[in-house]
Amino acid sequence: MPFNQKLQKFNAKINTVTIGSGDKTVTIGGDSTYPFYSFDAPSENAPKIGVEISDMGLENIVSEGIKAYYDGASTIGEMAKKAAAMEGADFVALILEGGDPNGVNKSVDELIAVVKEVADAIDAPLVVEGCKNVEKDAELLPKVAEALQGRNVLILSEKEENYKAIGAAAGLAYDQIVGAESAVDINLAKQLNVVTTQLGVNAQKIVMNIGSAAAGYGYEYVVSTMDRIKGAALSQNDNMLQMPIITPVSAETWGVKEATASEKDMPEWGPEEERGIDMEVMTAAADLAAGSDAVILRHPEAVAAISRMIKALA
Amino acid sequence: MFKVTFSFEDGSVVEAFANAGDNLLEVARGANVAIDAPCSGNGACGKCRVQLKSGELESKKTLHISDEEYQEGWRLACCSKISADVNVLVPDIASAYKSRMKVADLSSKEEIAIFENAKRDVELAGIELKNSLEVVDVTMDPPSLDDTMPDNERLTRALRKYLNISRVRIPYAVLKKLPDVLRESNFSVKCVIRATSDDMFVYDIFGKDEDVVIGGLAIDIGTTTVSAVLINMENGEILAKSSAGNGQIRFGADVINRIVESQKPGGQQKLQDAVIKETINPMISEMCKSAKFPKNRIYRMCVASNTTMNHLFAGINSDPLRTEPYIPAFFKTNSLFASDVGIDINKDAHIIMAPNIGSYVGGDITAGTLVSQIWNRPEFSLFIDLGTNGELVFGNSDFMMSCACSAGPAFEGGDISCGMRATDGAIEACTIDKETMEPTYKIVGDPGTKPVGLCGSGIIDVISELYICGIINPKGKFIREGKRIKHDKYGMGSYVLAFEEEAGSVKDVEITEVDIDNFIRAKGAIFSAIRTMLTSLDFDVSMIDDVYVAGGIGSGINMQNAVNIGMFPDIPIEKFHYIGNSSLTGAYLMLLSTPAEKKTYELASNMTYMELSTVPIYMDEFVGACFIPHTDTGMFPTVMEEIQNR
Repeated sequence: MPFNQKLQKFNAKINTVTIGSGDKTVTIGGDSTYPFYSFDAPSENAPKIGVEISDMGLENIVSEGIKAYYDGASTIGEMAKKAAAMEGADFVALILEGGDPNGVNKSVDELIAVVKEVADAIDAPLVVEGCKNVEKDAELLPKVAEALQGRNVLILSEKEENYKAIGAAAGLAYDQIVGAESAVDINLAKQLNVVTTQLGVNAQKIVMNIGSAAAGYGYEYVVSTMDRIKGAALSQNDNMLQMPIITPVSAETWGVKEATASEKDMPEWGPEEERGIDMEVMTAAADLAAGSDAVILRHPEAVAAISRMIKALA
Repeated sequence: MFKVTFSFEDGSVVEAFANAGDNLLEVARGANVAIDAPCSGNGACGKCRVQLKSGELESKKTLHISDEEYQEGWRLACCSKISADVNVLVPDIASAYKSRMKVADLSSKEEIAIFENAKRDVELAGIELKNSLEVVDVTMDPPSLDDTMPDNERLTRALRKYLNISRVRIPYAVLKKLPDVLRESNFSVKCVIRATSDDMFVYDIFGKDEDVVIGGLAIDIGTTTVSAVLINMENGEILAKSSAGNGQIRFGADVINRIVESQKPGGQQKLQDAVIKETINPMISEMCKSAKFPKNRIYRMCVASNTTMNHLFAGINSDPLRTEPYIPAFFKTNSLFASDVGIDINKDAHIIMAPNIGSYVGGDITAGTLVSQIWNRPEFSLFIDLGTNGELVFGNSDFMMSCACSAGPAFEGGDISCGMRATDGAIEACTIDKETMEPTYKIVGDPGTKPVGLCGSGIIDVISELYICGIINPKGKFIREGKRIKHDKYGMGSYVLAFEEEAGSVKDVEITEVDIDNFIRAKGAIFSAIRTMLTSLDFDVSMIDDVYVAGGIGSGINMQNAVNIGMFPDIPIEKFHYIGNSSLTGAYLMLLSTPAEKKTYELASNMTYMELSTVPIYMDEFVGACFIPHTDTGMFPTVMEEIQNR
């Protein structure tokens, strides 16, 4: 009997969200298949890659490869240009880690200056990530949304604790895209989308960050959650879970011991640079296979590898 | 030594002495002053507030007391140390849980009807309402110089002849009064006996003219509330009814805290005393006084309670219940007598225990299952007992499954800042105007009683109304502003039901975002347990024919509102039935009827216990249910419609 392929068709699809303005924009989502199931239907928009830079410059960067790539860039604006020009990059992600009150605790004004410098230096689509402290982000991210009016940037992240401040500023007042971050749980992800849309934010202007982990660090929860979110969005047509998913990878992977332990301490593990890249590539590849529509990376080699993977599979 | 004076709002005072550095809450406990401290006194719940009237206290500042309140002298008892002579006011809300023991006269028809219906239902199910206690008339020949048999043998022979039973036991209490009673009544007596096929036990003896009623005591020992009925064992008539807060509350709000407390030196005795000497014995005294019934004529008792409570009641080590593999000392036992545990009734009285099924599904549930009659129908029914632990039984005449989930004390008003049991001053029902956000409520007590707090049914109504009126979002956070919406300096919102001046308390009666959050978790635990149990059987909520709701949440529970907040599944409202305190009713039936007692043992051994913590989907279901009404609104179509219509 000849093989007769049955296509898995869904009457629902992931929302399409376009980040950026002018000539350079990037569009994610739009598929009505499971990730890379191009045999069921061609992909509308292949997954995208963002390159992450920090307001702290290269201060917290351990990787020699990343440092070498940005060699010669003396300002954050120049770093942003190099990031935008990286082979395989679709957009730039600026993380404002210096704002953390438990860290350097930069003032909101200082950080807004950094945001403006980056935005002025590039015309690539931009994602801005907060400092991860919910109170500080509630103060900082509405200002970021205001400063970047008209650029249609994605603001990461609005959480359950500060959704009113960030959702209202980014989603309503300044018409940016709201990144809704939850903690690796399908119900919590949906609940945040529900309350955000009840604020009046357009569901088509929400992107989810459902939370992530480095591969090997409870990562199976991430896979299961993404998988079930895609399942509910497509098979149950759950419009509160049809937002595309973006996953910041580097912030997780460059902090684990596989990336930070030196070769001197762990000779049997091999060179740390290679390990750091491997962690980033493995985690990002798994995120994309599980359902992420975009990933945020740092190392040029990781970006190149993931870019090749997307081209081969999408 | 310093003098500590506790003043109450009614003007009474209690004095105690303490050393410098002693914890005020401990001093209060030592002096038998009831201050509610559900968190066991570690500063987490903020309920043990007292007001400093004079003197000094060394108090840590906490989040629970605002600067303004601190200025007014408000302190948390658990965070205060004695440093001088001091006088503190214990406000009503802090002692409300002790809730002035309530002895109900039997005017309430509904109360009586519950017991009458239960009796009728078990009889219809073919269970005979009879027990082994009876009063028999015995006449003996008086002794003479020719007939020198001692009194006890004389009685034994007469009884043997009467009932044709070989073995007759006469306890010391009867022996002691035997010579006098026999002679006073000229050897014509009444005996209270328990007769089985080959054994007879003589509880008591009276002259033949004495009017003897055999008393029985059925009691439900809840983690938060204890209730009891005194009955006539011959016909089941209820002579008195009583309820009171469980005296163990001051040692922690939930069973785990109680078990932990019982492991401290002398703890087991303290907890047993708290429930028996401080709670049950005073209830017995009050009931006997109101019914003019002698305590020592109560010859049998039946206890229905959760596994931890019956272990603590019996004074048996309960620690193994708490630690893996969670093994109780007994499921069922016949070995308990009144004198063993110091219950103030006839000391030879036998104590029947409703059987446990597991560490977290106890006798209260087996007794309740007996009452719900889900075992007697082919249709599928769900029985829910809303207590500090929520327990469920699902099934029909062919099978029964049970499980327990930890709902916390919220249904009985615990863990809620203005929460209280359904006693005088509790708001038990409420509606809110969508436009003005003004509340209208019903208060427990005589007309004109001022609101003091909220009981379980009131909390359900308030949250349902706040949600339907769009005042809170599905997460329980306030999204509208107005005169009745307040925010504290940390931004936490609250809704004021009664401002201080309209309330019968020292502060506003309000519900805060934290209260709502606690309640959402309690209702989420119940709903997710229902879903998990049904899903594991491959059942859907639409297959439930009847839902029987029991528990101390209050007879006024509005089922529609309970569905609105997502506590119960969205099925037609006429399928829900409130069956009152089924644990007490079940204890009553087991007490009155030996066949009912046997039936309960049989039900217990036929129930399958499902441990939710080992079911992987439970956690997922729980998070999904911690949203009003549910993350998946598709499960609550009528609620969504109601919101549209309001």
